[in-house]
Amino acid sequence: MRLGVVFVSLGLIFGGFFALMGGAYALGGVVEDFGRTHGVSGLASLTNILILMLMIVMVFATLLTLAERKWSAFMQDRVGPNRARFPGLPNASLAGIPHIVTDVFKMLTKEAFRPKNASKVLFALGPMLAFAPVFALFAVVPAGPTLKIFDHPVMMVSTNLDFGLLYLFAIASLAVYGTSLAGWASNNKFALLGGVRASSQMISYEVALGLSLVGMMIAFSTVKLAGPDGMSEMQMQYLWSTRVGSFDLGLPAWGIFIQPLGFLLFFAAAFAETKRAPFDSPEGESEIVGYFLEYSGMQFGMFMIAEFVEVVVLGGVIVAIFFGGWSLPFGNEWLMNLAVMKQYPILLGAIYGTVFWGKTLLLVYLQMVIRWTMPRFRYDQIQKLGWQILLPVGLANLFVSGALILWDPSLRALALFGFFVIGVFAFLTLTPPKQVRQEQEAADDHHGGHGHAAPAPHDDHAALPASTH
Amino acid sequence: MSSHSHHDPLEKRELVEADIRERTYVPEILKGIALTTKHFLRNLFGERDPNPDVVDRKGLATITTVNYPEEKVDYPPGYRGLHRLVPREDGKPRCVACYMCATICPAQCIYIEAGEYGGDDEHAESRVIEKYPKQFVIDELRCIVCGLCVDACPKDAIRMDTYTHVPSEYNRQGFVYDIPKLLKGPAVSHPSDPWYKRGSSAPPDHVHKEAHTRITAGGAALAKRPPLVEVVKFAKP
Repeated sequence: MRLGVVFVSLGLIFGGFFALMGGAYALGGVVEDFGRTHGVSGLASLTNILILMLMIVMVFATLLTLAERKWSAFMQDRVGPNRARFPGLPNASLAGIPHIVTDVFKMLTKEAFRPKNASKVLFALGPMLAFAPVFALFAVVPAGPTLKIFDHPVMMVSTNLDFGLLYLFAIASLAVYGTSLAGWASNNKFALLGGVRASSQMISYEVALGLSLVGMMIAFSTVKLAGPDGMSEMQMQYLWSTRVGSFDLGLPAWGIFIQPLGFLLFFAAAFAETKRAPFDSPEGESEIVGYFLEYSGMQFGMFMIAEFVEVVVLGGVIVAIFFGGWSLPFGNEWLMNLAVMKQYPILLGAIYGTVFWGKTLLLVYLQMVIRWTMPRFRYDQIQKLGWQILLPVGLANLFVSGALILWDPSLRALALFGFFVIGVFAFLTLTPPKQVRQEQEAADDHHGGHGHAAPAPHDDHAALPASTH
Repeated sequence: MSSHSHHDPLEKRELVEADIRERTYVPEILKGIALTTKHFLRNLFGERDPNPDVVDRKGLATITTVNYPEEKVDYPPGYRGLHRLVPREDGKPRCVACYMCATICPAQCIYIEAGEYGGDDEHAESRVIEKYPKQFVIDELRCIVCGLCVDACPKDAIRMDTYTHVPSEYNRQGFVYDIPKLLKGPAVSHPSDPWYKRGSSAPPDHVHKEAHTRITAGGAALAKRPPLVEVVKFAKP
């Protein structure tokens, strides 16, 4: 029963992605066709903004407000919110899904309070400046391949910039204005301190953020994200490959394989940019109140929804840079050459779009689960992690990767190094820490020494040679 | 760790140097994620078991919540719940207005007004007892649920075996319970009851319920279990 509900829900989610992406391609083809008859091209960008950003990302982020509460509840063995219901239905009948509606309604109907001496314009500008750049980040992330729909090429990206990654860095660093303005304009010392914490954290981690992607830029010799010559699509190429009939099998040049350290650094730095736990000392909702202390109602809602949009966008960006974008790990060639796919390119686009959003969903889950696993970093730990760990490791990764790419431009050496790094982390994860090992050994010794005439003190006991028993 | 620790007490307090797994964060975070995800998946796919009994729990889900207003946990045996005035077989309270409970009550929440049976009124069969409560009022807001009134009662007339707590009310007056609100539950009689001692009547032909009804009556949880006290059968005189 419950299993059925879960699978039906998953089916609805992926079916939704599938339908929306198919619709995005069809709509793109239609407007391209319309534009071509009027002498303009690239009108599909507008429909992509509409569907990719306004519909998928925004709805995704809105659903996440509830998902975070329910998921965290499951992780902590709780039931989570389940009281909201529609009139006429029994309590808890819809598993709390109407909480999305009630949350929005609550935000909208609350008073938008402004402190007496707060700067009127800047106070209102804060949440907008925090929201807008985060949202705009998604513009360069490709959510599907470029396909010929109704004889016109349709790109599944809002804007195909040559400087995609640089745009990413530039816009991401704009978000700091929103937080520091919010902190300053509130005319509140605690908010100001929160804003200062936020800006120092975001600026510190921007260094590591930029550095962590340089390895990928060198590997593919581009800063472009979308398009056939973009980083996202170039990850489809195989490092090692074989064929089973017409099915192509192999290891793709995904960023996670050739730059695992770069991925970890980027993930950590971008996590700090989103200001979510464990990097949420700028907010510290319950105790060290943060920069949006004075905001209420929908103005606070803007900060909150910006955070969730950032989670989705960050998931999409990481998928595009490190997880092969919309492509499958293998079998891409086989899928693209299928007769039915050649006949109905919209179907192919919908499949690849679903793959992209599925990967994004996984990374969104990863961010959520980290937020509910890790305790918050102290302020000094944040700065130490950023400057003393991420930055040197990023530099080292950059030099090693650069040398390996120079030595072997086919990226295979880089991938072997990547597997070495992954193997080291896997080994460390699967073996117990030194302290645990020592305790186990001590316990074993203690067990062996059972029945000894005069029990020695614990410290000495562990040192007794086994032959004395 | 080292043998120096015996000489220098301060050395014991030095921090254990963090393992490489902790200093690089990643392995420990991965372990944490694995743990959290395990709980997430178990609770996502598993059906929540509303059974409050921890040892009887089965199934995937690790959620232990009982959705209170819809699902209720039976109170444990011996739970001191809301008072009740125990009725006789004829529906009148067993209480003889002796004031024992009101006297012992540390919270002074019991108010009794005694009435006296007249020599020739219509309560002829009740004449063996002289007093009855005209008013018997418990202020449940004052009650500290100590159960001393139950122990003090010589007539087994007040019990706390309803296995419910005091329901909420909108005003304080609602918590003041009088006889109509208090008089409920199964009737109880004992062979020693004075109204059986009249010359005209014989002791009732039923088991002596005193010992076991005290513990089990009203306890739904106990219905499934074997009786805690063996039922003693009284031989007919």
